[in-house]
Amino acid sequence: MEKEKNNEELICFRCQIPLVLEKTFFNYLDHTFFTDIPTCPKCKQKYIPESLVKGRMAEVEKELEDK
Amino acid sequence: MREFQKLLQQDCLRDEPPFCASACPFNLDIRDFISKTQRGSFSTAFRLYQNTVGFPEIVAQICPAYCQNVCIRQERDESIALKKLEQASIAYTKNKRPNRYHLPKKRQKVAIIGAGLAGLGCALRLTARKYEVVIYEKTGQIGGGLKDLMTEEEYLPLIEEQFIHDKYQLYLNQRIETLDELEADAIFIATGQSGDHFGFENREGATEKKGVFFFGGQHPVEKLASGLSMAAAIEGYLKSDVMRDPVKPEPTRLKMDPESFPIQEPQINLTENAILTQEEAIAEAKRCLKCQCDACLRHCDLMKFYGKAPKRIEEEVEITIHPGTLDGDGTVATRLIATCNHCDVCKIVCPQGIDTGLFLLQSHRAMEEKGAMPWVFHEFWLRDMEFSNSEDAKIYSLAPGSTKANFMYVPGCRLGGSNPEYVKASYDYLLKEEKDTSLLLSCCGAPALWAGDIPLFDSVLADIKEAWQSFGQPQAIFACSTCQRIFKDHLPEIEGLSLYEFMDAKNFEPAGQVKEQLCVFDPCQAAGHAEMQKAVRNLAAKTGLIMEEKDDVIKCCGWGGQVQIANPRYFDGVVKSRSADSDLGFLTYCANCRDVFNADNKEAHHLLDLLFNLNIDEENKLKRRKTPGPALNRLHRRTLKRDLLEQFFGERWEMKKRNLKLYISDQLKKKLDKEMILPEDLEEVITQAENSGAKVVHSDGAFSAYLIIGQMTYWVKYRIKDDGFLLENAYCHRMSIGD
Repeated sequence: MEKEKNNEELICFRCQIPLVLEKTFFNYLDHTFFTDIPTCPKCKQKYIPESLVKGRMAEVEKELEDK
Repeated sequence: MREFQKLLQQDCLRDEPPFCASACPFNLDIRDFISKTQRGSFSTAFRLYQNTVGFPEIVAQICPAYCQNVCIRQERDESIALKKLEQASIAYTKNKRPNRYHLPKKRQKVAIIGAGLAGLGCALRLTARKYEVVIYEKTGQIGGGLKDLMTEEEYLPLIEEQFIHDKYQLYLNQRIETLDELEADAIFIATGQSGDHFGFENREGATEKKGVFFFGGQHPVEKLASGLSMAAAIEGYLKSDVMRDPVKPEPTRLKMDPESFPIQEPQINLTENAILTQEEAIAEAKRCLKCQCDACLRHCDLMKFYGKAPKRIEEEVEITIHPGTLDGDGTVATRLIATCNHCDVCKIVCPQGIDTGLFLLQSHRAMEEKGAMPWVFHEFWLRDMEFSNSEDAKIYSLAPGSTKANFMYVPGCRLGGSNPEYVKASYDYLLKEEKDTSLLLSCCGAPALWAGDIPLFDSVLADIKEAWQSFGQPQAIFACSTCQRIFKDHLPEIEGLSLYEFMDAKNFEPAGQVKEQLCVFDPCQAAGHAEMQKAVRNLAAKTGLIMEEKDDVIKCCGWGGQVQIANPRYFDGVVKSRSADSDLGFLTYCANCRDVFNADNKEAHHLLDLLFNLNIDEENKLKRRKTPGPALNRLHRRTLKRDLLEQFFGERWEMKKRNLKLYISDQLKKKLDKEMILPEDLEEVITQAENSGAKVVHSDGAFSAYLIIGQMTYWVKYRIKDDGFLLENAYCHRMSIGD
């Protein structure tokens, strides 16, 4: 999955610290893969922007459904 | 599942030869010959013809054209003038010399008795394969019965030309008295009906005496065909020592509807003897239908979309359910299986009644049972069914004040979702006609059936059956043809009829008149229900509506099978294709058809709009009504329950209160509808985020949070506003976030 190109600073509400890119695993239809996602270093709260959801993630979802 | 493969092998007519080729004594591949002619490739067409008939210039003159007698075009206009096309292929081919085959000389010798076309045809094939061939002819000339059809001057050079590379020995005026006098490895008796038969019965093929073969056919071209095919049988014997008859094609089982293709008169004078010009020949060849059974491919949207006929579908579905690889990939047909509308068109149009839709339904079930069908194809619909069958929307009740029912109204879940007034008005009417009409307002389970979730489907049916029994086993009145179909197939003990048949039988008088002209769009589940279709037209006619009929078999609007999420491109294509069936708006009697078309900007009205005067203006014109999105559809079902209970049962029922107050712009509402995201799911996301604090803060102060509901992950970007929340964006994904 492509690297997130989002320069916006995101803050974890609970921990009040900035999110940083962190390797994150995804599961779909018995397949697992990973990419770097903005993540709270402390509580692991994630954020996935719509651009990633509608872009590469949707492509991979469709590929796996057709596999 | 294997039964379907067997069924296709036995019954599918897709691979049957066309009528013409089946009637041709030479079994000429006429479809191929026509294809070559259509593209102006006369020399390759000629080569095919020559290789098949042996003596092309003779056959093209004397053949009685069996093909033209069986051509299906003659039932509409004129048979394809194949004989003229064959003559054209000869006329426009420069090099007509036969092919030369460089094969080693064979040691065996074949004796042929009779130098008619049967003997010559057999000799032609065997000499080309380098066998030694000797022909004994009792008269002083070759050609046999050909002399009655052509002059010797005409046919002798034509025969000679074909033997230009490989010669045979000919003994004229040589009468064979007994076969014993012949020294040969095989003998072909090609003496004609009036000739010597050497004590063998008059039957074409291998005789009871080893190495001796007998001619067949009446007309010279039939005899020629017999000789050509006998050469293969003789060679088979020489190679394997096994006596077999030549392979004869089976008569075709092909069935074609002459109404399925347009009239196209030939643009040539069929009576003239002149050779066609190249342009005329190409135009005539283009009239050929190249007959092949394609009824399903022409009508079934799925087969058209994928360009695949049932045999190919069966093969792909089979390897999808039972992948041959260890890691189970190569499941090519998963989405195809989930794309079937289950509209029965394949079965209806198939001359053999083959039900590919049922096979796909069973395949869907098999995929679901092994957990191989992507959950996302059906999760939204199954949750929607769960909603319809929950306390939010469901009513199972006897009529107010009744203890037993003679009738049970089954409006279906989608009718009230489209417009609650449809259900309220129709139930009001039914109670006036039959005051003890009970009400069964829920989903019939179709989404579970289509999703292949049989345990869930069975539980829905059991619930319905229990209610029906508690009502005293009344007769059902269906407003939804899908419900009616589900009951008929899976709850056959519940007898029923459509609301429209009931109303027609009761001589219903509509509340108002309309000044409109609409095209009747019968829902796919009404196919085969002639009485329902008739009742609908009777009722609509009473409103003054001018009706146009579609010139096509009944097809699905696109909604059937709930394929929209599994294959959105296919769904859109079907809707657009159906919309184009008429320039007029549609009159339908299925809420899904109505909603699907209106969502695509195609005007469509429900019959109940007309009958109960629900969307008619002062000028008796029907008003357009937008299709409610998923959120409004649910709200309609909630309000319907509230209103029905209050209006007919005197019960006050509070709709479930929404947890949060959401502010959603119209633009975002449209997006949510399009992406089938329900605001009530987004409420859950926000509730969870606010309770736990699990959210991120954007630089502009907005929050983002997510929650998995069912198996879908929903994201919301929002702000706190006054007493509620302002939604800025929402989206969802199918992958789940791991650890």
